[in-house]
Amino acid sequence: MTKESDKASFKAPHMAVDIAGVRFKNPVMTASGTFGYGLEFSNLMDLNSIGGIVVKGLSTAPIKGNPPPRVYETPSGMLNAIGWQNIGATEFVARKLPVLMNYDTNVIVNIVGFELDDYLEVTRFLNDCPGIKALELNISCPNVKKGGFHFNKDPKDTYTITAETKKASPRLPLWVKLSPNVTDIAEFAKACEDAGADALSVINTFVGMAIDVEKRRPRLRFMTGGLSGPAIRPIAVRMVYEASRAVKIPVIGIGGIASTEDALEFLIAGARAVQVGTANFYQPDISQRIALGLQEYCRLRHIEDINELVGSLQPYE
Amino acid sequence: MLDKKVKVKAIRELGADNYLLTVNTPEQARLVRPGQFVMLKCVEDLAENPLLRRPFTIFDIHRSSRSGKPAGLDLLIKDVGVGTRKLVQTRPGQLLDCLGPQGHGFQVAAEMRNRVQLAYLVAGGVGIAPLFLLAQSLLTHGIRPVLFYGGASAADLVLRENFERLGIECVYTTEDGSFGERALVTQPLAQYIRSYRGKNIRMYGCGPWGMMKAVHLLSIENDIQCEVSLEARMGCSLGACLGCVVQTRDSRGEEQYLRVCQDGPVMNSRLINWNTVPL
Ligand SMILES: Cc1cc2nc3c(=O)[nH]c(=O)nc-3n(C[C@H](O)[C@H](O)[C@H](O)COP(=O)(O)OP(=O)(O)OC[C@H]3O[C@@H](n4cnc5c(N)ncnc54)[C@H](O)[C@@H]3O)c2cc1C
Ligand SMILES: Cc1cc2nc3c(=O)[nH]c(=O)nc-3n(C[C@H](O)[C@H](O)[C@H](O)COP(=O)(O)O)c2cc1C
Ligand code: FES
Repeated sequence: MTKESDKASFKAPHMAVDIAGVRFKNPVMTASGTFGYGLEFSNLMDLNSIGGIVVKGLSTAPIKGNPPPRVYETPSGMLNAIGWQNIGATEFVARKLPVLMNYDTNVIVNIVGFELDDYLEVTRFLNDCPGIKALELNISCPNVKKGGFHFNKDPKDTYTITAETKKASPRLPLWVKLSPNVTDIAEFAKACEDAGADALSVINTFVGMAIDVEKRRPRLRFMTGGLSGPAIRPIAVRMVYEASRAVKIPVIGIGGIASTEDALEFLIAGARAVQVGTANFYQPDISQRIALGLQEYCRLRHIEDINELVGSLQPYE
Repeated sequence: MLDKKVKVKAIRELGADNYLLTVNTPEQARLVRPGQFVMLKCVEDLAENPLLRRPFTIFDIHRSSRSGKPAGLDLLIKDVGVGTRKLVQTRPGQLLDCLGPQGHGFQVAAEMRNRVQLAYLVAGGVGIAPLFLLAQSLLTHGIRPVLFYGGASAADLVLRENFERLGIECVYTTEDGSFGERALVTQPLAQYIRSYRGKNIRMYGCGPWGMMKAVHLLSIENDIQCEVSLEARMGCSLGACLGCVVQTRDSRGEEQYLRVCQDGPVMNSRLINWNTVPL
């Protein structure tokens, strides 16, 4: 080995990414609803080791959620119908956020609501709270009967809610989390960009269903639920690829990520960063391991800056 | 609570698809309180199905034969599906992912202050699991446990000799009459409650939902405090996914979903809305 290559292999790769003017020390975050309010995992991993934590979807007032059973495991994945149960934004800001702020990682708040006004109210409240780095607008959660859902049925409605919420958050960057339950994800991605979204989170869960054949009733009391986990990964990679080609704003890849290699697929497909979801449940320190794994991947291949990987998909000759 | 890779020390078949799995894990064993559980998965490829870890109550603390110090955990596992099948097929030396001890256990120390003298422990089948550590803990606090243990058949009443070795009174029932009284476990329980004249008594139950509900109703009728250990499908066991909830009602009648993994698995039976089954 020559001296130069020795030096190159020891140089720590640049892992930081920028999303709408906010610096993330590395492109790994945890996905909303799969990491609680972050603190639940503080004994099991180093929260400082990841770029960010997206906390459970918050509404202004607490929401009770759906009756159980709420989760059911399916091949390489799971269905959930939690129904937006959360402690409310006020309680989060008073009790959880001050503790989370002691960690050197970015806190992003996922927001939920039944009506447009619910979204605007919680957005205005959070926009004034120090310690939050961005808002992630969840218009795609399939688990609540009224509201929410229709904002992602028609790109025009997606445009409206994005534009209105953006106005209500002059300080904080607004990410919009897209539903995969659409025919053309690019169309929705463009609607969000046109409406002023600062980034896109792609994707939320797929609507699914499982049936107990003995009792002939749905496995979830809510009937349908959101499918997550490795089972959805190939579709998620495809959607990230399509969305990132359709817009200029950063895309954050989500869906079934459980290893470094999975995260790399998303980055190469066009994601600026990734979120790890369901895998946190069965391997609580997986996000930390992926952050380390990405660094190792870059180091071994002499990739100086992780951003070089973003959208670096190569065509066949 | 710790997340450890633990080694299978022994696995013993108990009959009727039940197994006693012993794992080496001194650090976790030292932390255990009665009623707590661990989340287990075989250490293989992370992507191996089933993905999610499975919850199991800690039946007993396994002690080193030399020093007598906590060395591991004894877990009672009934083979009912894919996840449990993989676990009962493990061999000594194999590694498991083990997260725990998790959850809110029985409130034994608090009961001592209430001068409780007698405790009725009620188990249905594999619901026996949390009651062995509880029985030992009650005994050290000077509270006399009586075990009511019911199952479909004699073979389902596993590990009863462990309770007998504690020298406590055990009442058995089976649905087919193959062992003990041919009855539901709540029938002798009701008789014992009726014939007991003392006041400071507690009830503890674990088993199928219908059985626990019947135990709860008896506790209400007779004005006895009762704790039950609940089951629910779990995602994380960390209180993060909100997948494992049970519907509860507080003293003002306010309804709320509490997490079986963190607010339970042991809860006061009066909190629970017994009309909504969580599984
Ligand atoms: C706090 C807690 C403590 C438990 N302690 C023990 C124990 O000490 N010993 C023991 O054998 N079992 C215990 N269980 C139940 C055990 O976790 C389940 O039997 C196991 O998760 C089933 O996994 P599986 O993949 O084999 O079954 P699956 O293939 O997923 O399902 C097979 C059957 O098991 C039932 N089941 C699935 N998940 C659960 C669950 N979480 N709880 C109850 N039933 C379930 C299903 O309804 C179905 O009928 C406990 C459960 C909880 C929540
Ligand atoms: C139990 C559970 C709860 C979730 N709650 C939310 C939520 O509150 N808001 C949201 O935007 N997404 C929520 N999601 C979706 C995840 O953030 C993520 O988009 C999805 O699970 C796909 O990623 P995964 O396959 O890595 O889990 C939830 C997912 C699960 C499994
Ligand atoms: S299992 Fe996830 S909150 Fe209880």
